[in-house]
Amino acid sequence: MIFPIVRIPLMVSAIFTFLLFLSEQGLAQNTELESLRALVKGMEQQLQQALQRIDQLEKEKGSTVSRVDQVERSVKAVQSAPSALNPAIGMAIDATAEQRNKTGGNFNFRSAEIGISASIDPYARGYAFFNGSGDGVEVEEAAMVTTSLPWNLQARGGRFFADFGRLAKFHPHEYAFVNSPLSLERMVGGESKADGVELSYLFPTPFFLRATVGGYNKIGAENERLDDTKSRAWSRFTYLGRLNTYFDLSDNHSIELGTSLAYTPSIRVPEDPHGGSRTLSGIDLTYRYQPLGSTLYQGFTVGAEFFGNSERVERESGYRRMFAPAGYAYAEMKLNREWSAGFLYDNAPSLASPGKKTQSYSPFVTWNMSEFNRLRVQYTYGNDNVNESKSESGSQFFLQWTTVLGAHAHGFRTR
Amino acid sequence: MQLDRRIILKAVFLVSLYWSGGGAAQAQAIRVVTTIPDLADMTQQIGKELVAVESLTRGVEFMHAVPVKPSFVPKLNRANLLVAMGLDLESSWLPALLEPASNPKIMPGQPGHVDCSTGIKVLEVPKSVDRAEGDVHPKGNPHYNLDPLNGKVMARNIADGLARNYPQHKAVFDKNLAAYLSELDKAMARWQTMAAPLKGTKFVAYHSDWAYFANRFGLQQIGSIETKPGIEPTPNHLVGLAQKMQQERIPLIIYGPQSDRYPKQLAGQSGAAVVRLQSISGGAAETDTYVKFIEHNVKSLLAALKKS
Repeated sequence: MIFPIVRIPLMVSAIFTFLLFLSEQGLAQNTELESLRALVKGMEQQLQQALQRIDQLEKEKGSTVSRVDQVERSVKAVQSAPSALNPAIGMAIDATAEQRNKTGGNFNFRSAEIGISASIDPYARGYAFFNGSGDGVEVEEAAMVTTSLPWNLQARGGRFFADFGRLAKFHPHEYAFVNSPLSLERMVGGESKADGVELSYLFPTPFFLRATVGGYNKIGAENERLDDTKSRAWSRFTYLGRLNTYFDLSDNHSIELGTSLAYTPSIRVPEDPHGGSRTLSGIDLTYRYQPLGSTLYQGFTVGAEFFGNSERVERESGYRRMFAPAGYAYAEMKLNREWSAGFLYDNAPSLASPGKKTQSYSPFVTWNMSEFNRLRVQYTYGNDNVNESKSESGSQFFLQWTTVLGAHAHGFRTR
Repeated sequence: MQLDRRIILKAVFLVSLYWSGGGAAQAQAIRVVTTIPDLADMTQQIGKELVAVESLTRGVEFMHAVPVKPSFVPKLNRANLLVAMGLDLESSWLPALLEPASNPKIMPGQPGHVDCSTGIKVLEVPKSVDRAEGDVHPKGNPHYNLDPLNGKVMARNIADGLARNYPQHKAVFDKNLAAYLSELDKAMARWQTMAAPLKGTKFVAYHSDWAYFANRFGLQQIGSIETKPGIEPTPNHLVGLAQKMQQERIPLIIYGPQSDRYPKQLAGQSGAAVVRLQSISGGAAETDTYVKFIEHNVKSLLAALKKS
């Protein structure tokens, strides 16, 4: 029985010890739990902070992305808006292969024309065209145009194509046919190239009405009767007036009308001490059918221009004032997106003896591979009684290849 | 004589009354010219009776071949505000009209020139710009009006533009804008439900105009009829495209203001349905507002998908 008696205290002490151990253990566990709790709490806080930070970063990232987007867009805008820093540069190349029934054939490099344009400041824009051709390189145009004059006024100065007629102020590669009409060549002197100054006014009417006045040394790239480089009296400048209007007959049909007058008070003819005035007048008309919904595939244009030239010319009986009428008319039809065909009639008298004239008839077909690349074939039959001896006739055949590269206002447009 | 003079005086008086009256009526309304009918509709909704709006194009034109009409010049000359899409959508015709219009306050960069592309996330911005790639848009795809969510950005830009120039009416513009935006939101919810069957539909386009629309409603373009933007297809290209369409079972051919010749030819070869969508509003009664125009496109696509 001793055993249990002895055993009891032993067991009790053992239990105590165990309990003590347990409690110690428990105490230790309690502190550990607390520290764990604290740890978790700390981690929770850290997590909370991290999440907040992530939220904040997300927001910042969003604004950064949009900022990067903005920067990218402005860089792109600068890159793709050449006039912002550099002028827009473009070039037109125009070449033909020609065959004449009397003189044979020729590859004719007609022109490589470099155009540059940009805003100068808030008040003006500048542009220039340099043309290289078989005759060398020349400045065709180099002019300043105002952009913010009050009262609907616009001024232009330098060398430019004067606002005479409808076709003379465009570069020949923009025409619907291969060559500049002979009537235009003889009357205006090719393009209406002029050194001078011009002012135009847009009437505040509900329809388009514009008036232009100008003063120049002379008008006409090939006009040799006046010298561009010498000083002259007021009476030897050329003065211009033009009125131009446009009406929509309906959504698809329109008419453009213009009338021009170029007046030179005194043209010096070497043998005629009295000189004499020259008046070149013109009426131009353009009818366009442009069906709004299918301008890519359909269209019809009729363009015509009539000139009258009045000046003193040498006759057997002395100097006499002569009036020479001239003109051209053409029609062009768009057959589909790439093809168009047309016909040009041209009537050009000699300025000196208006009874003698050159007439030509030219059918042409144009293939626009794209907006900037164009092939054209044209046949021209002409007859001519300008030479004293006898009238002549002949035919010519043209194959023209014209391209536009770089910045160019609109590729090719219906003229 | 006495009578004559009286009649003349009366006539002069009446004419001057007419002119001054006309002038006063014009002075009241803000004259806004927009390039496309979408913008005219939105400007009208936001400006209400304060504005007199006119769109230069009617909605039937091909945006890259809009005729440069001198009759646009007097309209631009008298405009108080010009609202344009920007991103070069109008680059082939608007600059040529702005110069003769002699109206410095609506030139690009001026307060009177409202560019609606501000804040648009532009798609298809080219990595390089070369005309060997056809008619590339250096600033990216400009047909962002096809995504109705962009419509909200456009409306906001118009309201900002109006308020910038006429701060005295800002409260009115803001109120009208809020009403228009909620109308767009409602329509958007309707279109999302309607357009659910379109999700994942693959299509071939004539010209790649539709990225924004496809993006919004989950369509996927897998090819185009043009070999490159603005370049008409070759016979070989069409044969290859028809084969690809048959293999991948492409159900739709989408075209816009172009001729239906190639789309129909391709449909004959591939068995896909052809659908003509509008890239701008206007042009017809069923597309004469921006909301109707988007709705018309969604419905046209659904109808075509049913047929295929």
